[in-house]
Amino acid sequence: MNIVILLVLSSVLAAAAFLIAFLWAAGSGQYDDVYTPAVRMLFDDTIISTEKIPIELNDHGT
Amino acid sequence: MRSIHQTPESITAHACVHCGEPIATGAVLANNLAFCCAGCKTVYEILAAHDLCEYYARETTAGVSMKRRNVREDEFTILDDPAVARKILTFASSHLNRVIWPVPSVHCASCVWLLERFERLEPGVLSSTVDIMRKTVMIDFDPRTTSLRRIAERLANIGYAPLLRLSEEEPGTKTSSVRGLYARIGIAGFAAGNTMMMYIAEYFAGPHGIEHSLVTTFRALSIALSIPVLLYSASPWFIAARAALRGRRINLDVPVALGIVVLFARSVFDIVSSTGTGYLDSFNGLVFFLLIGRLFQQRAFDALSFDRTYRSFFPLSVRILKNGNSTVIPIEKINIGDALSVRNGEVVPCDSALESEIGYVDYSFVTGESAPVECTRGEMVYAGGKAMGRAITLIASKKVSHSELAAMWEASSLLKDKENGKRRSRYLQWSDLFGTWFTLAAVGVALLGAAVWVPDWTKSFSIFTAVLIVACPCALTLAAPITLGTAMGLLGRFGIYLKNMGVLLDLERVDSIIFDKTGTLTMPDYRFSFTGRPLTQDEQIAISSVASQSSHPISRAIAGSWSDRENEFEEVKETVGGGIVGRSMGHTVAIGSIEFIREQCWNEMELGRGREIAAAVAIDGEYAGAYMMQPMVRPGIAALIAALRKTKSVALLSGDTDRDRATFEPLFGTAMRFNARPEAKIGAMEQEQSRGHRVLMIGDGLNDAGAMSAADVAIAVTDDTATLVPACDLILRADSLTKLPALVSYAHRVKQLIAVSLTFSILYNALGVTLAIMGMLSPLVAAVLMPLSSLTVIAISVAGARHFARSIAKEGRAT
Repeated sequence: MNIVILLVLSSVLAAAAFLIAFLWAAGSGQYDDVYTPAVRMLFDDTIISTEKIPIELNDHGT
Repeated sequence: MRSIHQTPESITAHACVHCGEPIATGAVLANNLAFCCAGCKTVYEILAAHDLCEYYARETTAGVSMKRRNVREDEFTILDDPAVARKILTFASSHLNRVIWPVPSVHCASCVWLLERFERLEPGVLSSTVDIMRKTVMIDFDPRTTSLRRIAERLANIGYAPLLRLSEEEPGTKTSSVRGLYARIGIAGFAAGNTMMMYIAEYFAGPHGIEHSLVTTFRALSIALSIPVLLYSASPWFIAARAALRGRRINLDVPVALGIVVLFARSVFDIVSSTGTGYLDSFNGLVFFLLIGRLFQQRAFDALSFDRTYRSFFPLSVRILKNGNSTVIPIEKINIGDALSVRNGEVVPCDSALESEIGYVDYSFVTGESAPVECTRGEMVYAGGKAMGRAITLIASKKVSHSELAAMWEASSLLKDKENGKRRSRYLQWSDLFGTWFTLAAVGVALLGAAVWVPDWTKSFSIFTAVLIVACPCALTLAAPITLGTAMGLLGRFGIYLKNMGVLLDLERVDSIIFDKTGTLTMPDYRFSFTGRPLTQDEQIAISSVASQSSHPISRAIAGSWSDRENEFEEVKETVGGGIVGRSMGHTVAIGSIEFIREQCWNEMELGRGREIAAAVAIDGEYAGAYMMQPMVRPGIAALIAALRKTKSVALLSGDTDRDRATFEPLFGTAMRFNARPEAKIGAMEQEQSRGHRVLMIGDGLNDAGAMSAADVAIAVTDDTATLVPACDLILRADSLTKLPALVSYAHRVKQLIAVSLTFSILYNALGVTLAIMGMLSPLVAAVLMPLSSLTVIAISVAGARHFARSIAKEGRAT
């Protein structure tokens, strides 16, 4: 058996693994929204100071 | 003449810290920061308390103005009802609930930032994810800690009130079709790449070819890779073509499906009979590009949902009074005879009779009349009216679904559907005609080519199939969807939302534009200007203090402009239907109708002409002046009308009285009509059309709906995309109204762009067919020519649509 055939087959199999990964990604909804992640990634991580205790505003129902 | 509404320079110069709108009247100050209204201040305080002020650092116009919002405090009470909640939740278990809510006010990066940190504001929220294109937020929460109602209320508190819709359709049906499309593209792309790799080996093998065992393996593998593409990826075209043939029509899907089948069959035949390499690389590439075109189409569709019914204009629930208790029920459950309590700013859900002594109802959405109507006990109040000033009690006389409003809405959307059907069928006819012509021509040329070689049957067969393969109108079908789809996506960024892609082409043909006034050219709320003798500051405070004691909407608007002043008053007496008299700051102030004030004062009243007087004022028994209703014309309107008049005929068609005639005279000249009832608007529209014009109607209210469905193109102008008009083809955010001339010329450019891409694809097709006839369509030529034509069309369409969209962005900066 020609070694090139083996090479081609294994490369197609490797590519098929990526195809399956893509199908999984599409199926799990990773391509449902392709605009917001571009906005989201620009946010810097802010450090929430732990000293500040959030004031509980009594504003439910207003 | 002077306006009482002038506020100190220092504050006017500022924009509201929260919403960024210029502060016109009644600034609210807190911590040395200026807000346009108390609502905006509240949101700021909530965010400050939770350390979320970074929100304001991202975009200058981050906040959602709270001025026009009127959330009833028990608006969301109904969400505690498990039957209602079940219809809203997409997933429910004992410790995790999920809801996907449309939030129309989502518009920028700041919105995403804040809403995705929602768990800091509401304990019990596990995560929140925003989709900025669809304007939805998905919230996972723990039902043991918080509730659907608390989340909705919290969202409304910070200006992101969710649009409550009890959907009948299954959730997630739309997204699964997009996911399926991606799967199809993935498989076709995978097959295209791998077959291309194997075919290249043969193309570049040189004069001696490659080893026989390799050739066999490559070809077998190519067939194996192509079978899923034929059966799965290409199936949409087979389904479409079969549907068309069943209906005895031939549209463009037919030659596409024919091309795909012939391409695959011929390739398999060539390979199996060992007469050639086949065209499997071209086959996979073709399906891949066709699917890319589909993706553009799909993208454009799921940007903003247009399916609104009259229900989306109403609240979900209403407060009813029963045996002295008030309970909240869903509006569907209103029975005839129920006593409804409707407070200031709330919408009357069904036609009913007024039970209170007096009430003020604003029908601007339904009729276009901007001044509130005064109703007395027993009078009919119609659904869609907004209670103003004081709370009113009503006795329901019709069910919600039987109200005039519902009937009007249904009628106009039905009309629009019919109209759309007509238009779509015209487009279909054109497309069918083209498809038929194209298919017949392709088959004809193929037969002709085959006939030339007739004694040589193999050659004849090969020419026949080659022509069918290369004639497959892949690039042709890509041209329009990709251009229009790209354009639609770009326009969404400027606050211009299209219902479907064809709207741009319709817009391009418009030559007559008709504007509605209230809510379209003017802001939905009204303002008053004072005309009369100069007032001292004490007198101004006295007037607003006395006015603040009345529940009449006009008085409230007068009082509202001085909200940060101390109100001092004594002995206030109100005469229903007349006016109010009171003492404040040492003055006796009377505010009311002309007749009411005439009785109160001794001197002659100098009434201005031409303008409608909203309220007259007398101070210490002396006539001082009057408040005029002043339209708040949206900024940039004069320039907009002037720009449009250059090329099109422009007219004003208003359901309101002609009190603003003088304001609009310089803009429209004589092309103005007032007091037009909805039926009259439809009539005017048809008259214009009978003169051979293609009419664009721009409106905002239900009163325009009839005219909008009769028009060739209808644009709805809205301050928030939540309240919608039926029968519109295009939604324009109010601040984008000035971009209308740019939009029209963009539509023009887009049409030219499509023509250019079509020309290119026809040229490619002609070249391909010529080569095929001459017997020169080798697999290599096909493999180069077919993707090249698709790529050219995609490149022209996308680059062109993007390039021309820049002019719209520029227009926005200039105004």
